[in-house]
Amino acid sequence: MSTDTDPNAEADAPRFDRVDWEAYAGGRTGRVSTTTKLFALTVAPIVALAGYDRVAAGERETVFDAFAAATDLPLQAFGLDFAVTAVDYAFAATLLLFVWYLVVPLFQHPRIASHYWRRFKRNRPALVSLAWLFVVFGGGLLGPLVLNAPEQNILAGHQPPVGLTVAEANVPQCVGEVADGRCGGTWEYPLGTTRGGVGVFTGVVYGMTISMKIAFITTTIVAGIGITVGTVSAYAGGWVDEVAMRAVDIVLSFPTLLFFLLVLYVYGAGLGMFIVVFSLFGWGGTARYVRSKALSVSEEEFVKAGRLSGASTRRVVRRHVVPNTASSIITQLTLLIPGFLLAEAQLAFLGLGDSSIASWGQLIAAGRSDLAFAPWIVLAPGIVLFLTILAFNFLGDALLDAVDPEATTEAER
Amino acid sequence: MGVAGYVALRVGWAAVVSVIIVTVTFGLLAAAPNPSVQQAATQAALEGGDPQEAVERERQLRGLDEPLHVRYLDFLTGVYTLEWGWSEYRSQPVTTALADAVLYTAQYSIPWTILTVLFGPLIGVYSAANMYTWRDHAATGFAFFGYAIPNFFFGIILLLIFGVWLEWIPIVFRTEVPAFSLANARQLAIPVFVLVTGSIGAIMRVSRNESAAFRNATFMKTAKAKGVSPLRAYAYHVMRPTLVPLSTTLVGQLLAIFLGSSLLVEVVFGIPGLGRLTFNALVAQDTNLVLGSTLLFTFLAVVGNLLEDLAFTVLDPRISYDDREL
Amino acid sequence: MTDNGSGATADGSGATADGSGATADGSGATTDDPLLAVEGLRTTFETEAGDLVAVDGIDFTVERGETVCLVGESGSGKTVAVESLTGLIDQPPGRIEGSVRFRGAELTALPPKALRRHRGASIAYVFQNPQDALNHCYTVGWQLIEAIQVHEDVSDAAARARAIDLLDTVGVPDPAGRIDEYPHQFSGGEKQRVMIAMALVTEPDLLVADEPTTALDVTTQAGILQLLDDLKAEYGLGVLFVTHDLATVSQIADRVVVLYAGTVMERGPVVDVFERPAHPYTRALLACLPGRESDLDAVGGAERGGIAGSLPDPTAPPDGCRFAPRCAHAESACSTGDQPPEVAVGDGHRVSCIHYDPGDDPSALPDPTESAAEAERSSVESARQDVIGDE
Repeated sequence: MSTDTDPNAEADAPRFDRVDWEAYAGGRTGRVSTTTKLFALTVAPIVALAGYDRVAAGERETVFDAFAAATDLPLQAFGLDFAVTAVDYAFAATLLLFVWYLVVPLFQHPRIASHYWRRFKRNRPALVSLAWLFVVFGGGLLGPLVLNAPEQNILAGHQPPVGLTVAEANVPQCVGEVADGRCGGTWEYPLGTTRGGVGVFTGVVYGMTISMKIAFITTTIVAGIGITVGTVSAYAGGWVDEVAMRAVDIVLSFPTLLFFLLVLYVYGAGLGMFIVVFSLFGWGGTARYVRSKALSVSEEEFVKAGRLSGASTRRVVRRHVVPNTASSIITQLTLLIPGFLLAEAQLAFLGLGDSSIASWGQLIAAGRSDLAFAPWIVLAPGIVLFLTILAFNFLGDALLDAVDPEATTEAER
Repeated sequence: MGVAGYVALRVGWAAVVSVIIVTVTFGLLAAAPNPSVQQAATQAALEGGDPQEAVERERQLRGLDEPLHVRYLDFLTGVYTLEWGWSEYRSQPVTTALADAVLYTAQYSIPWTILTVLFGPLIGVYSAANMYTWRDHAATGFAFFGYAIPNFFFGIILLLIFGVWLEWIPIVFRTEVPAFSLANARQLAIPVFVLVTGSIGAIMRVSRNESAAFRNATFMKTAKAKGVSPLRAYAYHVMRPTLVPLSTTLVGQLLAIFLGSSLLVEVVFGIPGLGRLTFNALVAQDTNLVLGSTLLFTFLAVVGNLLEDLAFTVLDPRISYDDREL
Repeated sequence: MTDNGSGATADGSGATADGSGATADGSGATTDDPLLAVEGLRTTFETEAGDLVAVDGIDFTVERGETVCLVGESGSGKTVAVESLTGLIDQPPGRIEGSVRFRGAELTALPPKALRRHRGASIAYVFQNPQDALNHCYTVGWQLIEAIQVHEDVSDAAARARAIDLLDTVGVPDPAGRIDEYPHQFSGGEKQRVMIAMALVTEPDLLVADEPTTALDVTTQAGILQLLDDLKAEYGLGVLFVTHDLATVSQIADRVVVLYAGTVMERGPVVDVFERPAHPYTRALLACLPGRESDLDAVGGAERGGIAGSLPDPTAPPDGCRFAPRCAHAESACSTGDQPPEVAVGDGHRVSCIHYDPGDDPSALPDPTESAAEAERSSVESARQDVIGDE
């Protein structure tokens, strides 16, 4: 009974899958689309900066310092005084990719965007999830610019969160009010502090940055490899297809976490290596999906027509296969990202993560020994991690329903 | 090609995958400086000896001066003949250390797997049978909670509540209690609960969504029209077909959680099983043991995937072995 | 009558569990009770858009040894109607009202468990799509044996022997060898034969066949129809046959009930309805039959390949005659009040249309010329002979 509600609305409704992507991309065969040009234009400074970092900046010098020294620009005044890592460059480039290929198209097509929004609004949990992910995203992006990096301050250790108190004996020195031998929390440390006096709130916000980096960069790599392997496999066929699909089998059954432990053991590994290893073994499902979709799409009339008119395979893939699989790929990634976040937190918790970054896992690990009297150190990042994973799952579930209308959504009822 | 042919082919493929993984592992180790060689060099330097000479000696001792292909073949032979070397950290052969640890891992893994495999599909199908009622919503909520809450975080919280505050369970795992005793059941209850919560959600969701398609199938109407009771109809006509798609995800899901969580849960609860052994080996820089435990987990994964595929083949009578891909 | 009926309920359900028609006859129901008598059956579904009325108060009877066809286009409520008889509809969202008396015993009042004892035992079903009607995970034998053992306490071996027998009866070749095969190893027609065998395992009195031939190709269809006809004679079955295909009706039916939007438009012996269709809807349906182009001009609203317009919104059925919005003969009076009461226009031939008064000749409706009716008669006759005679 549930599937046949309002079939007309369904038929009229615009969908990603039915959009004439060519129309807005404004591209023609052999010419680079406007979007691509704009993307190239905006990503160029980042590439240039990365190159400058590699070539000109000294070992112990941040790229901004080096650049400021060379050009006399007061970069520090803009808050540009932090060390930039390879992960940061990749993150910035990935963000631009998302802006130009996801956000801008939605703005250019308000009708489609508003249609999606209307459909989406009906699913309450997914809506709340999206809001939460925006908070995490915004916090991760803007937080480091507003808040100072977490700093140790032994004297301010074990401060309770606002509104809570802790026995004075547990606190080296109470920052807030002391009443009845109990130390109260202050707004200076809204979520309290760790043993080392690092503000938990600051730690959580900086952890958002890490999580966002993991989410965005892995997404880009996984989608890139998955789409490439999937389409090449589908269009090349024969032994290429066979080899690619066997590779997918292996990747899918590969114990990634263990492999990473081995890499970690042999080479030592930071966040960058974590992202690379996990993305390198995360594309199996996407590739398999894209391949099957590409095979079915290539059977469809419009692709045949495209081919007859002399369009190249690459064009067919870009204009037809990728748009047709876009929504499903996004869904898959939404369900993949929480796995990466969880893996990072697990490793950090075990003390095997990148100790130079302030991730949620690090914070949880730091608070573990003081759990009995300072539970906020573990609880705050733990709950934030939990909520983020939950949000990704709800969002993925909602998208899954949107992509596959056969399965009606839980929350739409 | 009959069933036997397919099984042979699939087993052969599993063997190929294991060789590939072992090869990648070898490549990883061969390309990196061996920690023990560096250790020898450092030690020599500290003791006033010649680091270069110490390196040579250590390399010779470990057979690292042999050509690459000889070392590769040695490595391969060693792996498949279970010559996994000596664990310096445990002062016992790696295989013995692993065998000891497996006993502890099995103590919680077996109940955990049984509970998940038993209750996951049951609750999932029950959820589908009561779709969009409060029972379904409750089950769904539980499923989402289960797989969103990080196991180690959940473990810590429960340990705090039941171990520290309520003092119902020991905070540190006691190895001296017999495996089949009430005390052991009590100390393993929380780890098992944490793991079941983490793994059952995914199974429930898959069962629910897959069986939703079957509960509206014509054959369910046929069963109803035959006079079959609703309970029997769900137990036989929905549950059985649901197991087919479920089998393709079940083992994979369990393995993924097993690999990740056994490490975390054993560290959190102090269970001296495989995960904790691996962790300690990593910390103690015991190369042989690290390698041994990674290989063991890897083989488990390969065998698990093999079983998953075979289960799928056995469960779905419609599969024609002729055009079935690996 | 009512007392008698309710008294027979308990006895009847107990007796039919044995699956024997003979015992049931002796269980207290009078012999004048029709095998199946449906009165004022109304099935609604709760939906977000409001209550959806799928079946809106229909009456019909089925006697032993006769085939009654429920005819109507897709969405006219035929399937819901027959599934409502034994409560196959999920409740909620469905709601079944009215009276369904089986051998004089009221079924709608029965608790689910007692109703279940009727299903498969005394009232058996064959569904439209044999591809999906058998569970792909079990062998055909397993499913047949399940059907037997649900109702009777017999050994596996005995059930199996009976299953093989039945497969033989319905014309599955090499039944002993094929009983252990899975449904996907059977062809569509064979699957439908298996479904019929499954319906017969407990020797029911009433067989409900819901579009059993629609999903099959033409030659297979003829075989299945022939089989049903044979079984009707052999077992003395009452057959309630649901279809949208008038060609099939002409081959198998004794009596026809024409449904539109959940209500009865016309009913009567098949020859009467086909020769002298009274209701404009019936005429339009008949005009859509291949080889009946001669009627096209006569029935204004009909076009080849379908009737103009579509079924009314089942959540808000129109006032008056449900067919009025699509009817070429509709007047303003057609669109007020309820569906017009049925009037007799022949022996057992009744129509729900304001254009008729009791006793009217069905051809009173301004149109079908004598010659067209002649053509009708001969085509019906020949269709019957073609199919039934050739087998």
